[in-house]
Amino acid sequence: MASSTAIRELQRDLEDKANDLSKLQKDIAKNHQVRKKYTVQLGENELVLKELDLLNEGANVYKLIGPVLVKQDLAEANANVRKRIDYISAELKRLDATLQDLEEKQNSKKDAILKLQQRIQSLQAGKAKA
Amino acid sequence: MEEPAKGTVTPFASMFPFDEAKKAVKRVEDAIAEKLKELERHKQFIADNTNLVNLVSRLPDELHHDVMVPFGKAAFFPGRLIHTNEFVVLLGEGYYAERTAKQTIDILTRRGKALDSQVESLKVNIKDLRAEASFFGSTAAEAAEGLVEIREDYVEKSYTEEQSKSEKVDKKVRVEDDEYAHIMSRLDELEKEELAAEGDNESDEDEHTNTAESDNESGEDECIDIVGSDNESDEDEQTDAAKRGSDIHEYNQTEATFNNFASQTHLETRKAQKQTKVENLSVEALSNKFHHQLDTTDQPNCTGLTVQPVPKDDMSSSRSLTQIKKSVPAEKDLMLPGVKEKLEAASSSTIEVPMWTPKSRFDSSKAFTGSIVEHLSNIEKNSQNQTVTSSQTPVRASRPGFDSSKSFTSSIVEHIDNMPTSQEQTATSSQSPNAQPSKPVSRFKMQRR
Repeated sequence: MASSTAIRELQRDLEDKANDLSKLQKDIAKNHQVRKKYTVQLGENELVLKELDLLNEGANVYKLIGPVLVKQDLAEANANVRKRIDYISAELKRLDATLQDLEEKQNSKKDAILKLQQRIQSLQAGKAKA
Repeated sequence: MEEPAKGTVTPFASMFPFDEAKKAVKRVEDAIAEKLKELERHKQFIADNTNLVNLVSRLPDELHHDVMVPFGKAAFFPGRLIHTNEFVVLLGEGYYAERTAKQTIDILTRRGKALDSQVESLKVNIKDLRAEASFFGSTAAEAAEGLVEIREDYVEKSYTEEQSKSEKVDKKVRVEDDEYAHIMSRLDELEKEELAAEGDNESDEDEHTNTAESDNESGEDECIDIVGSDNESDEDEQTDAAKRGSDIHEYNQTEATFNNFASQTHLETRKAQKQTKVENLSVEALSNKFHHQLDTTDQPNCTGLTVQPVPKDDMSSSRSLTQIKKSVPAEKDLMLPGVKEKLEAASSSTIEVPMWTPKSRFDSSKAFTGSIVEHLSNIEKNSQNQTVTSSQTPVRASRPGFDSSKSFTSSIVEHIDNMPTSQEQTATSSQSPNAQPSKPVSRFKMQRR
Protein backbone atom coordinates (compact mmCIF):
# COMPACT_ATOMS: atom_id res chain seq x y z
CA MET A 1 0.00 0.00 0.00
CA ALA A 2 2.74 2.34 0.85
CA SER A 3 4.23 1.68 -2.48
CA SER A 4 0.95 2.38 -4.26
CA THR A 5 0.51 5.68 -2.45
CA ALA A 6 4.06 6.54 -3.29
CA ILE A 7 3.28 5.74 -6.87
CA ARG A 8 0.18 7.90 -6.77
CA GLU A 9 2.15 10.73 -5.33
CA LEU A 10 4.73 10.41 -7.98
CA GLN A 11 2.07 10.43 -10.63
CA ARG A 12 0.52 13.56 -9.24
CA ASP A 13 3.91 15.10 -9.30
CA LEU A 14 4.24 14.06 -12.87
CA GLU A 15 0.98 15.72 -13.78
CA ASP A 16 1.99 18.96 -12.18
CA LYS A 17 5.24 18.96 -14.00
CA ALA A 18 3.50 18.17 -17.24
CA ASN A 19 1.20 21.16 -16.75
CA ASP A 20 4.12 23.39 -16.10
CA LEU A 21 5.76 22.14 -19.20
CA SER A 22 2.74 22.84 -21.35
CA LYS A 23 2.50 26.35 -19.90
CA LEU A 24 6.09 26.91 -20.69
CA GLN A 25 5.56 25.75 -24.21
CA LYS A 26 2.67 28.15 -24.65
CA ASP A 27 4.82 30.97 -23.41
CA ILE A 28 7.46 30.06 -25.87
CA ALA A 29 4.96 30.03 -28.72
CA LYS A 30 3.64 33.47 -27.73
CA ASN A 31 7.14 34.74 -27.55
CA HIS A 32 7.73 33.50 -31.04
CA GLN A 33 4.70 35.30 -32.35
CA VAL A 34 5.52 38.59 -30.74
CA ARG A 35 8.99 38.31 -32.05
CA LYS A 36 7.67 37.81 -35.54
CA LYS A 37 5.49 40.89 -35.30
CA TYR A 38 8.32 43.00 -34.07
CA THR A 39 10.57 41.75 -36.80
CA VAL A 40 8.07 42.75 -39.46
CA GLN A 41 7.64 46.18 -37.93
CA LEU A 42 11.33 46.66 -37.80
CA GLY A 43 11.61 45.88 -41.49
CA GLU A 44 8.87 48.32 -42.36
CA ASN A 45 10.43 51.09 -40.35
CA GLU A 46 13.71 50.62 -42.04
CA LEU A 47 12.00 50.97 -45.41
CA VAL A 48 10.34 54.18 -44.30
CA LEU A 49 13.63 55.54 -43.16
CA LYS A 50 15.11 54.83 -46.52
CA GLU A 51 12.35 56.64 -48.33
CA LEU A 52 12.52 59.57 -45.98
CA ASP A 53 16.18 59.89 -46.70
CA LEU A 54 15.42 60.01 -50.38
CA LEU A 55 13.02 62.89 -49.91
CA ASN A 56 14.53 66.26 -50.62
CA GLU A 57 14.05 69.14 -48.22
CA GLY A 58 10.75 70.87 -48.42
CA ALA A 59 8.72 67.84 -49.28
CA ASN A 60 5.63 67.53 -47.11
CA VAL A 61 5.39 64.58 -44.79
CA TYR A 62 2.15 63.68 -43.13
CA LYS A 63 1.46 61.34 -40.30
CA LEU A 64 -1.76 59.41 -39.97
CA ILE A 65 -3.06 59.82 -36.46
CA GLY A 66 -6.42 58.11 -36.30
CA PRO A 67 -8.52 59.52 -39.14
CA VAL A 68 -6.39 62.65 -39.43
CA LEU A 69 -3.48 63.30 -41.63
CA VAL A 70 -1.18 65.67 -39.80
CA LYS A 71 1.57 67.52 -41.49
CA GLN A 72 4.92 66.73 -40.04
CA ASP A 73 8.36 68.14 -40.31
CA LEU A 74 10.74 66.05 -42.32
CA ALA A 75 13.44 66.21 -39.70
CA GLU A 76 10.95 65.37 -37.01
CA ALA A 77 9.64 62.45 -38.99
CA ASN A 78 13.15 61.17 -39.48
CA ALA A 79 13.92 61.36 -35.82
CA ASN A 80 10.69 59.63 -34.92
CA VAL A 81 11.26 56.78 -37.26
CA ARG A 82 14.79 56.31 -36.02
CA LYS A 83 13.66 56.23 -32.43
CA ARG A 84 11.04 53.72 -33.26
CA ILE A 85 13.56 51.51 -34.90
CA ASP A 86 15.79 51.57 -31.85
CA TYR A 87 12.87 50.80 -29.60
CA ILE A 88 11.83 47.84 -31.65
CA SER A 89 15.36 46.42 -31.74
CA ALA A 90 15.63 46.69 -27.99
CA GLU A 91 12.33 44.90 -27.59
CA LEU A 92 13.48 42.15 -29.86
CA LYS A 93 16.63 41.64 -27.85
CA ARG A 94 14.66 41.48 -24.65
CA LEU A 95 12.34 38.95 -26.15
CA ASP A 96 15.28 36.87 -27.27
CA ALA A 97 16.62 36.71 -23.76
CA THR A 98 13.24 35.70 -22.40
CA LEU A 99 12.96 33.06 -25.05
CA GLN A 100 16.29 31.58 -24.06
CA ASP A 101 15.21 31.54 -20.47
CA LEU A 102 11.97 29.85 -21.27
CA GLU A 103 13.65 27.23 -23.39
CA GLU A 104 16.10 26.37 -20.67
CA LYS A 105 13.32 26.01 -18.18
CA GLN A 106 11.47 23.84 -20.57
CA ASN A 107 14.42 21.52 -21.03
CA SER A 108 15.00 21.14 -17.35
CA LYS A 109 11.33 20.43 -16.83
CA LYS A 110 11.50 17.77 -19.48
CA ASP A 111 14.40 16.10 -17.77
CA ALA A 112 12.64 16.16 -14.45
CA ILE A 113 9.58 14.63 -15.97
CA LEU A 114 11.62 11.91 -17.56
CA LYS A 115 13.28 11.08 -14.30
CA LEU A 116 9.94 10.96 -12.56
CA GLN A 117 8.60 8.65 -15.18
CA GLN A 118 11.55 6.33 -14.80
CA ARG A 119 11.08 6.22 -11.08
CA ILE A 120 7.46 5.41 -11.46
CA GLN A 121 8.25 2.68 -13.91
CA SER A 122 10.84 1.11 -11.69
CA LEU A 123 8.49 1.26 -8.75
CA GLN A 124 5.73 -0.33 -10.67
CA ALA A 125 8.02 -3.00 -11.99
CA GLY A 126 9.18 -3.68 -8.47
CA LYS A 127 5.65 -3.81 -7.23
CA ALA A 128 4.66 -6.15 -10.02
CA LYS A 129 7.50 -8.46 -9.17
CA ALA A 130 6.60 -8.46 -5.52
CA MET B 1 30.48 -15.40 -49.35
CA GLU B 2 28.73 -14.47 -46.24
CA GLU B 3 31.10 -14.67 -43.45
CA PRO B 4 29.75 -15.17 -40.04
CA ALA B 5 30.64 -11.74 -39.00
CA LYS B 6 29.10 -10.32 -36.00
CA GLY B 7 26.74 -7.65 -36.94
CA THR B 8 23.48 -6.10 -36.10
CA VAL B 9 20.40 -6.16 -38.12
CA THR B 10 18.06 -3.40 -37.37
CA PRO B 11 14.84 -3.08 -39.20
CA PHE B 12 14.17 0.40 -40.33
CA ALA B 13 10.90 0.26 -38.60
CA SER B 14 12.60 0.22 -35.27
CA MET B 15 14.94 3.01 -36.03
CA PHE B 16 12.41 5.25 -37.66
CA PRO B 17 9.00 4.27 -36.44
CA PHE B 18 6.59 4.33 -39.26
CA ASP B 19 4.00 6.38 -37.43
CA GLU B 20 6.39 8.99 -36.38
CA ALA B 21 7.80 9.26 -39.82
CA LYS B 22 4.33 9.84 -41.13
CA LYS B 23 3.65 12.46 -38.53
CA ALA B 24 6.81 14.22 -39.42
CA VAL B 25 5.77 14.20 -43.03
CA LYS B 26 2.44 15.71 -42.10
CA ARG B 27 4.05 18.40 -40.03
CA VAL B 28 6.36 19.37 -42.79
CA GLU B 29 3.52 19.41 -45.25
CA ASP B 30 1.57 21.75 -43.03
CA ALA B 31 4.47 24.09 -42.89
CA ILE B 32 4.70 23.93 -46.64
CA ALA B 33 1.03 24.82 -46.97
CA GLU B 34 1.49 27.83 -44.77
CA LYS B 35 4.42 29.05 -46.70
CA LEU B 36 2.52 28.59 -49.92
CA LYS B 37 -0.25 30.82 -48.62
CA GLU B 38 2.26 33.46 -47.76
CA LEU B 39 3.67 33.16 -51.20
CA GLU B 40 0.26 33.71 -52.70
CA ARG B 41 -0.26 36.83 -50.66
CA HIS B 42 3.02 38.26 -51.69
CA LYS B 43 2.29 37.53 -55.30
CA GLN B 44 -0.95 39.40 -54.94
CA PHE B 45 0.85 42.38 -53.52
CA ILE B 46 3.23 42.41 -56.41
CA ALA B 47 0.37 42.33 -58.89
CA ASP B 48 -1.33 45.24 -57.18
CA ASN B 49 1.86 47.15 -57.16
CA THR B 50 2.33 46.74 -60.88
CA ASN B 51 -1.19 47.92 -61.59
CA LEU B 52 -0.66 50.93 -59.45
CA VAL B 53 2.51 51.81 -61.24
CA ASN B 54 0.70 51.70 -64.56
CA LEU B 55 -2.09 53.89 -63.27
CA VAL B 56 0.20 56.43 -61.75
CA SER B 57 2.19 56.66 -64.92
CA ARG B 58 -0.93 57.37 -66.94
CA LEU B 59 -2.51 59.97 -64.69
CA PRO B 60 -0.25 62.94 -65.33
CA ASP B 61 -0.90 62.63 -69.06
CA GLU B 62 -3.89 64.88 -68.69
CA LEU B 63 -4.44 68.03 -66.72
CA HIS B 64 -7.69 66.58 -65.39
CA HIS B 65 -9.60 63.39 -65.92
CA ASP B 66 -13.38 63.03 -66.14
CA VAL B 67 -14.43 60.10 -64.04
CA MET B 68 -17.50 58.58 -62.43
CA VAL B 69 -16.97 58.96 -58.73
CA PRO B 70 -18.51 56.37 -56.44
CA PHE B 71 -20.95 57.87 -54.01
CA GLY B 72 -21.96 55.67 -51.17
CA LYS B 73 -22.70 52.06 -51.80
CA ALA B 74 -24.80 52.16 -54.92
CA ALA B 75 -24.31 55.45 -56.73
CA PHE B 76 -21.87 57.29 -58.85
CA PHE B 77 -21.71 60.82 -60.02
CA PRO B 78 -19.61 62.36 -62.69
CA GLY B 79 -16.58 64.15 -61.41
CA ARG B 80 -13.15 65.36 -62.31
CA LEU B 81 -9.70 64.31 -61.19
CA ILE B 82 -7.45 67.35 -60.82
CA HIS B 83 -3.97 67.89 -59.56
CA THR B 84 -3.03 64.85 -61.49
CA ASN B 85 0.61 65.12 -60.64
CA GLU B 86 0.38 65.27 -56.85
CA PHE B 87 0.36 62.15 -54.86
CA VAL B 88 0.41 61.52 -51.15
CA VAL B 89 2.23 58.27 -50.85
CA LEU B 90 2.19 55.96 -47.86
CA LEU B 91 5.77 55.33 -46.84
CA GLY B 92 4.89 52.90 -44.08
CA GLU B 93 4.15 53.02 -40.39
CA GLY B 94 1.56 55.76 -40.83
CA TYR B 95 3.89 58.14 -42.63
CA TYR B 96 2.84 59.78 -45.85
CA ALA B 97 4.78 61.92 -48.21
CA GLU B 98 3.71 64.29 -50.95
CA ARG B 99 5.35 63.32 -54.16
CA THR B 100 5.00 63.76 -57.87
CA ALA B 101 3.99 61.00 -60.18
CA LYS B 102 7.50 60.20 -61.21
CA GLN B 103 8.72 60.09 -57.65
CA THR B 104 5.78 57.97 -56.70
CA ILE B 105 6.64 55.52 -59.38
CA ASP B 106 10.15 55.33 -58.02
CA ILE B 107 8.87 54.58 -54.57
CA LEU B 108 6.57 51.95 -55.90
CA THR B 109 9.24 50.20 -57.89
CA ARG B 110 11.50 50.10 -54.89
CA ARG B 111 8.71 48.58 -52.87
CA GLY B 112 8.15 46.07 -55.63
CA LYS B 113 11.78 45.03 -55.50
CA ALA B 114 11.61 44.44 -51.76
CA LEU B 115 8.55 42.29 -52.28
CA ASP B 116 10.31 40.29 -54.94
CA SER B 117 13.19 39.47 -52.66
CA GLN B 118 10.75 38.35 -50.01
CA VAL B 119 9.04 36.10 -52.48
CA GLU B 120 12.36 34.60 -53.45
CA SER B 121 13.26 33.75 -49.89
CA LEU B 122 9.84 32.24 -49.39
CA LYS B 123 10.29 30.06 -52.42
CA VAL B 124 13.63 28.81 -51.17
CA ASN B 125 12.03 28.01 -47.86
CA ILE B 126 9.34 26.04 -49.56
CA LYS B 127 11.87 24.11 -51.55
CA ASP B 128 13.74 23.10 -48.43
CA LEU B 129 10.56 22.06 -46.75
CA ARG B 130 9.58 20.01 -49.75
CA ALA B 131 12.91 18.22 -49.71
CA GLU B 132 12.43 17.48 -46.05
CA ALA B 133 8.97 16.16 -46.67
CA SER B 134 10.13 13.87 -49.42
CA PHE B 135 12.87 12.54 -47.23
CA PHE B 136 10.46 11.80 -44.46
CA GLY B 137 8.13 10.22 -46.91
CA SER B 138 10.75 7.92 -48.30
CA THR B 139 11.86 6.95 -44.82
CA ALA B 140 8.31 6.14 -43.88
CA ALA B 141 7.92 4.03 -46.98
CA GLU B 142 11.10 2.18 -46.26
CA ALA B 143 10.09 1.56 -42.72
CA ALA B 144 6.84 0.18 -43.93
CA GLU B 145 8.61 -2.10 -46.36
CA GLY B 146 10.65 -3.54 -43.62
CA LEU B 147 13.94 -2.44 -44.99
CA VAL B 148 16.70 -3.57 -42.80
CA GLU B 149 19.89 -1.88 -41.89
CA ILE B 150 22.72 -4.30 -41.51
CA ARG B 151 25.82 -3.39 -39.70
CA GLU B 152 28.72 -5.75 -39.64
CA ASP B 153 32.00 -5.57 -37.92
CA TYR B 154 34.92 -5.31 -40.13
CA VAL B 155 36.91 -8.48 -39.71
CA GLU B 156 40.29 -8.73 -41.22
CA LYS B 157 40.34 -12.13 -42.75
CA SER B 158 41.76 -13.83 -45.73
CA TYR B 159 40.71 -12.70 -49.07
CA THR B 160 37.83 -15.03 -49.10
CA GLU B 161 36.43 -13.16 -46.25
CA GLU B 162 36.43 -9.88 -47.83
CA GLN B 163 32.77 -9.93 -47.73
CA SER B 164 32.93 -9.29 -44.12
CA LYS B 165 34.12 -5.90 -44.94
CA SER B 166 32.50 -4.15 -42.19
CA GLU B 167 30.67 -1.30 -43.42
CA LYS B 168 27.25 -0.10 -42.97
CA VAL B 169 25.54 -1.78 -45.77
CA ASP B 170 21.98 -1.26 -46.47
CA LYS B 171 21.31 -4.07 -48.72
CA LYS B 172 18.77 -6.57 -49.57
CA VAL B 173 20.47 -9.70 -48.54
CA ARG B 174 18.54 -11.94 -50.81
CA VAL B 175 19.81 -10.34 -53.93
CA GLU B 176 23.33 -11.10 -52.98
CA ASP B 177 22.53 -14.67 -52.32
CA ASP B 178 21.11 -15.13 -55.72
CA GLU B 179 24.11 -13.69 -57.33
CA TYR B 180 26.30 -15.73 -55.19
CA ALA B 181 24.65 -18.95 -56.18
CA HIS B 182 24.91 -17.99 -59.75
CA ILE B 183 28.55 -17.26 -59.50
CA MET B 184 29.22 -20.42 -57.62
CA SER B 185 27.76 -22.50 -60.33
CA ARG B 186 29.86 -20.76 -62.87
CA LEU B 187 32.92 -21.27 -60.84
CA ASP B 188 32.23 -24.91 -60.64
CA GLU B 189 32.13 -25.12 -64.37
CA LEU B 190 35.34 -23.27 -64.76
CA GLU B 191 36.96 -25.37 -62.18
CA LYS B 192 36.17 -28.48 -64.04
CA GLU B 193 37.66 -27.13 -67.17
CA GLU B 194 40.70 -26.06 -65.36
CA LEU B 195 41.23 -29.38 -63.81
CA ALA B 196 41.14 -30.94 -67.18
CA ALA B 197 43.58 -28.46 -68.53
CA GLU B 198 45.88 -28.63 -65.63
CA GLY B 199 46.24 -32.32 -65.87
CA ASP B 200 47.78 -31.90 -69.27
CA ASN B 201 50.02 -29.09 -68.41
CA GLU B 202 51.55 -30.47 -65.34
CA SER B 203 55.23 -30.86 -65.64
CA ASP B 204 58.43 -30.36 -63.84
CA GLU B 205 58.39 -26.78 -64.69
CA ASP B 206 55.08 -26.49 -63.25
CA GLU B 207 56.21 -27.98 -60.09
CA HIS B 208 58.96 -25.57 -59.86
CA THR B 209 56.89 -22.65 -60.66
CA ASN B 210 54.07 -23.99 -58.74
CA THR B 211 56.00 -24.17 -55.60
CA ALA B 212 57.11 -20.70 -56.02
CA GLU B 213 53.76 -19.64 -57.11
CA SER B 214 51.93 -21.80 -54.80
CA ASP B 215 53.61 -20.01 -52.04
CA ASN B 216 52.27 -16.89 -53.35
CA GLU B 217 48.99 -18.34 -54.15
CA SER B 218 48.53 -20.30 -51.10
CA GLY B 219 48.15 -17.16 -49.28
CA GLU B 220 45.58 -16.12 -51.62
CA ASP B 221 44.48 -19.36 -52.96
CA GLU B 222 43.41 -17.59 -55.94
CA CYS B 223 46.76 -16.33 -56.72
CA ILE B 224 48.34 -19.65 -56.44
CA ASP B 225 46.09 -21.39 -58.73
CA ILE B 226 46.49 -18.84 -61.30
CA VAL B 227 50.15 -18.84 -60.96
CA GLY B 228 50.27 -22.54 -61.10
CA SER B 229 48.23 -22.57 -64.14
CA ASP B 230 50.29 -19.90 -65.67
CA ASN B 231 53.40 -21.74 -65.07
CA GLU B 232 52.00 -24.73 -66.59
CA SER B 233 52.24 -23.51 -70.04
CA ASP B 234 53.61 -20.62 -71.85
CA GLU B 235 50.97 -20.99 -74.39
CA ASP B 236 48.43 -20.54 -71.83
CA GLU B 237 50.00 -17.35 -70.87
CA GLN B 238 49.63 -16.03 -74.28
CA THR B 239 46.09 -16.94 -74.47
CA ASP B 240 45.63 -15.55 -71.08
CA ALA B 241 46.91 -12.27 -72.19
CA ALA B 242 44.38 -12.23 -74.91
CA LYS B 243 41.75 -13.20 -72.58
CA ARG B 244 42.68 -10.62 -70.15
CA GLY B 245 41.86 -8.00 -72.54
CA SER B 246 38.46 -9.42 -73.08
CA ASP B 247 38.15 -10.30 -69.54
CA ILE B 248 38.54 -6.84 -68.50
CA HIS B 249 35.27 -6.07 -70.00
CA GLU B 250 33.71 -8.96 -68.37
CA TYR B 251 35.47 -7.96 -65.34
CA ASN B 252 33.58 -4.83 -65.05
CA GLN B 253 30.34 -6.57 -65.33
CA THR B 254 31.16 -9.30 -63.08
CA GLU B 255 32.46 -7.14 -60.41
CA ALA B 256 29.37 -7.63 -58.47
CA THR B 257 29.52 -11.29 -58.88
CA PHE B 258 33.15 -11.26 -58.25
CA ASN B 259 32.73 -11.13 -54.62
CA ASN B 260 30.92 -14.31 -54.81
CA PHE B 261 33.48 -15.53 -57.16
CA ALA B 262 36.14 -14.70 -54.82
CA SER B 263 34.97 -17.30 -52.50
CA GLN B 264 34.40 -19.67 -55.29
CA THR B 265 37.61 -19.04 -56.95
CA HIS B 266 39.15 -19.74 -53.75
CA LEU B 267 37.77 -23.17 -53.94
CA GLU B 268 38.70 -23.59 -57.47
CA THR B 269 42.17 -22.46 -56.99
CA ARG B 270 42.51 -24.95 -54.36
CA LYS B 271 41.35 -27.64 -56.65
CA ALA B 272 43.69 -26.55 -59.33
CA GLN B 273 46.46 -26.85 -56.95
CA LYS B 274 45.69 -30.37 -56.28
CA GLN B 275 46.24 -31.20 -59.82
CA THR B 276 49.79 -30.33 -59.80
CA LYS B 277 51.59 -33.00 -58.00
CA VAL B 278 54.19 -31.07 -56.30
CA GLU B 279 52.22 -27.98 -56.30
CA ASN B 280 49.53 -29.40 -54.26
CA LEU B 281 51.71 -30.15 -51.40
CA SER B 282 53.64 -27.02 -51.56
CA VAL B 283 50.65 -24.98 -52.27
CA GLU B 284 48.69 -26.29 -49.47
CA ALA B 285 51.51 -25.84 -47.15
CA LEU B 286 51.93 -22.41 -48.44
CA SER B 287 48.29 -21.70 -48.32
CA ASN B 288 48.28 -22.56 -44.73
CA LYS B 289 51.07 -20.28 -44.14
CA PHE B 290 49.43 -17.76 -46.22
CA HIS B 291 46.20 -17.81 -44.51
CA HIS B 292 47.96 -17.55 -41.36
CA GLN B 293 49.95 -14.77 -42.63
CA LEU B 294 47.07 -13.14 -44.22
CA ASP B 295 45.14 -13.16 -41.11
CA THR B 296 47.94 -11.90 -39.10
CA THR B 297 49.31 -9.53 -41.53
CA ASP B 298 47.06 -6.83 -42.43
CA GLN B 299 47.14 -5.13 -45.58
CA PRO B 300 49.10 -2.29 -44.50
CA ASN B 301 50.69 -2.43 -47.80
CA CYS B 302 47.50 -2.17 -49.53
CA THR B 303 46.40 1.01 -48.12
CA GLY B 304 43.94 1.38 -50.83
CA LEU B 305 42.68 -2.10 -50.59
CA THR B 306 40.05 -2.37 -48.09
CA VAL B 307 38.77 -5.80 -48.13
CA GLN B 308 41.52 -8.11 -48.89
CA PRO B 309 44.00 -8.77 -46.27
CA VAL B 310 47.28 -8.03 -47.67
CA PRO B 311 49.74 -10.60 -47.02
CA LYS B 312 52.65 -8.96 -45.59
CA ASP B 313 56.09 -9.34 -46.74
CA ASP B 314 56.87 -10.60 -43.41
CA MET B 315 55.71 -13.93 -44.36
CA SER B 316 58.15 -14.03 -47.07
CA SER B 317 58.84 -17.60 -46.53
CA SER B 318 59.36 -17.49 -50.13
CA ARG B 319 59.81 -14.38 -52.01
CA SER B 320 56.92 -15.26 -54.09
CA LEU B 321 54.88 -15.76 -51.05
CA THR B 322 55.53 -12.42 -49.73
CA GLN B 323 54.83 -10.93 -52.96
CA ILE B 324 51.71 -12.76 -53.37
CA LYS B 325 50.56 -11.88 -50.02
CA LYS B 326 50.74 -8.31 -50.66
CA SER B 327 48.95 -8.51 -53.81
CA VAL B 328 46.38 -10.55 -52.15
CA PRO B 329 44.90 -7.82 -50.17
CA ALA B 330 41.91 -7.18 -52.10
CA GLU B 331 44.37 -6.96 -54.74
CA LYS B 332 44.60 -10.59 -54.87
CA ASP B 333 43.18 -10.34 -58.17
CA LEU B 334 45.81 -7.97 -58.96
CA MET B 335 48.46 -10.16 -57.75
CA LEU B 336 47.37 -13.03 -59.74
CA PRO B 337 47.53 -11.19 -62.91
CA GLY B 338 50.72 -9.71 -61.83
CA VAL B 339 52.01 -13.06 -61.02
CA LYS B 340 50.81 -14.45 -64.18
CA GLU B 341 52.23 -11.76 -66.15
CA LYS B 342 55.49 -12.35 -64.62
CA LEU B 343 55.32 -15.92 -65.47
CA GLU B 344 54.35 -15.21 -68.90
CA ALA B 345 57.04 -12.82 -69.33
CA ALA B 346 59.10 -15.89 -69.31
CA SER B 347 61.15 -14.29 -66.74
CA SER B 348 61.84 -16.67 -64.05
CA SER B 349 59.58 -16.53 -61.18
CA THR B 350 62.41 -14.96 -59.40
CA ILE B 351 61.88 -11.91 -61.40
CA GLU B 352 58.38 -11.85 -60.39
CA VAL B 353 59.33 -12.30 -56.88
CA PRO B 354 61.27 -9.15 -56.74
CA MET B 355 58.38 -7.50 -58.35
CA TRP B 356 56.09 -8.73 -55.81
CA THR B 357 57.98 -7.46 -52.97
CA PRO B 358 57.83 -4.00 -54.21
CA LYS B 359 54.25 -4.50 -54.77
CA SER B 360 53.69 -5.45 -51.32
CA ARG B 361 54.43 -1.93 -50.62
CA PHE B 362 51.13 -1.56 -52.12
CA ASP B 363 52.49 0.48 -54.79
CA SER B 364 53.45 -2.67 -56.47
CA SER B 365 50.12 -4.01 -55.73
CA LYS B 366 48.75 -1.17 -57.55
CA ALA B 367 50.48 -2.12 -60.60
CA PHE B 368 49.08 -5.50 -60.22
CA THR B 369 45.72 -4.38 -59.63
CA GLY B 370 45.49 -3.30 -63.11
CA SER B 371 46.62 -6.59 -64.31
CA ILE B 372 44.52 -8.49 -61.99
CA VAL B 373 41.45 -6.94 -63.20
CA GLU B 374 42.12 -8.24 -66.53
CA HIS B 375 42.49 -11.64 -65.28
CA LEU B 376 39.19 -11.57 -63.68
CA SER B 377 37.54 -10.87 -66.86
CA ASN B 378 39.62 -13.55 -68.32
CA ILE B 379 38.52 -15.96 -65.82
CA GLU B 380 35.00 -15.60 -66.74
CA LYS B 381 35.76 -16.02 -70.30
CA ASN B 382 38.23 -18.68 -69.65
CA SER B 383 35.70 -21.13 -68.70
CA GLN B 384 35.37 -21.84 -72.28
CA ASN B 385 38.91 -21.42 -73.33
CA GLN B 386 42.14 -22.97 -72.65
CA THR B 387 43.18 -24.40 -69.49
CA VAL B 388 45.51 -21.64 -68.77
CA THR B 389 42.80 -19.21 -68.78
CA SER B 390 40.68 -21.58 -66.95
CA SER B 391 43.30 -21.89 -64.37
CA GLN B 392 43.36 -18.25 -64.22
CA THR B 393 39.73 -18.03 -63.92
CA PRO B 394 39.59 -20.13 -60.89
CA VAL B 395 42.08 -17.88 -59.48
CA ARG B 396 40.08 -14.99 -60.44
CA ALA B 397 36.87 -16.32 -59.34
CA SER B 398 38.40 -16.89 -56.06
CA ARG B 399 39.04 -13.34 -55.82
CA PRO B 400 37.03 -13.01 -52.79
CA GLY B 401 37.38 -9.47 -52.59
CA PHE B 402 35.80 -8.48 -55.72
CA ASP B 403 34.80 -5.52 -53.88
CA SER B 404 38.30 -5.32 -52.94
CA SER B 405 39.11 -5.33 -56.54
CA LYS B 406 36.77 -2.53 -56.84
CA SER B 407 38.38 -0.87 -54.05
CA PHE B 408 41.57 -1.67 -55.73
CA THR B 409 40.64 0.20 -58.69
CA SER B 410 40.57 3.32 -56.81
CA SER B 411 43.65 2.43 -55.03
CA ILE B 412 45.20 1.11 -58.09
CA VAL B 413 44.81 4.29 -59.80
CA GLU B 414 46.53 6.04 -57.12
CA HIS B 415 49.15 3.52 -56.85
CA ILE B 416 49.84 3.46 -60.40
CA ASP B 417 51.15 6.84 -59.97
CA ASN B 418 53.10 5.67 -57.08
CA MET B 419 54.13 2.66 -58.85
CA PRO B 420 56.81 4.32 -60.75
CA THR B 421 58.32 5.46 -57.57
CA SER B 422 57.87 2.26 -55.76
CA GLN B 423 59.00 0.28 -58.64
CA GLU B 424 62.15 2.13 -58.73
CA GLN B 425 62.77 1.14 -55.28
CA THR B 426 62.09 -2.48 -55.74
CA ALA B 427 64.01 -3.36 -58.77
CA THR B 428 64.55 -2.23 -62.16
CA SER B 429 64.28 -5.74 -63.35
CA SER B 430 60.78 -5.81 -62.28
CA GLN B 431 60.24 -2.84 -64.40
CA SER B 432 59.76 -4.86 -67.45
CA PRO B 433 57.19 -7.10 -65.95
CA ASN B 434 55.59 -4.10 -64.43
CA ALA B 435 55.19 -2.64 -67.78
CA GLN B 436 52.58 -5.17 -68.47
CA PRO B 437 50.61 -4.41 -65.42
CA SER B 438 50.61 -0.82 -66.28
CA LYS B 439 48.84 -1.69 -69.42
CA PRO B 440 46.05 -3.46 -67.81
CA VAL B 441 45.90 -0.78 -65.29
CA SER B 442 45.12 1.76 -67.87
CA ARG B 443 42.49 -0.44 -69.22
CA PHE B 444 41.21 -0.88 -65.84
CA LYS B 445 41.14 2.76 -65.34
CA MET B 446 39.15 3.22 -68.40
CA GLN B 447 36.75 0.63 -67.42
CA ARG B 448 36.43 1.86 -64.01
CA ARG B 449 36.37 5.41 -64.86
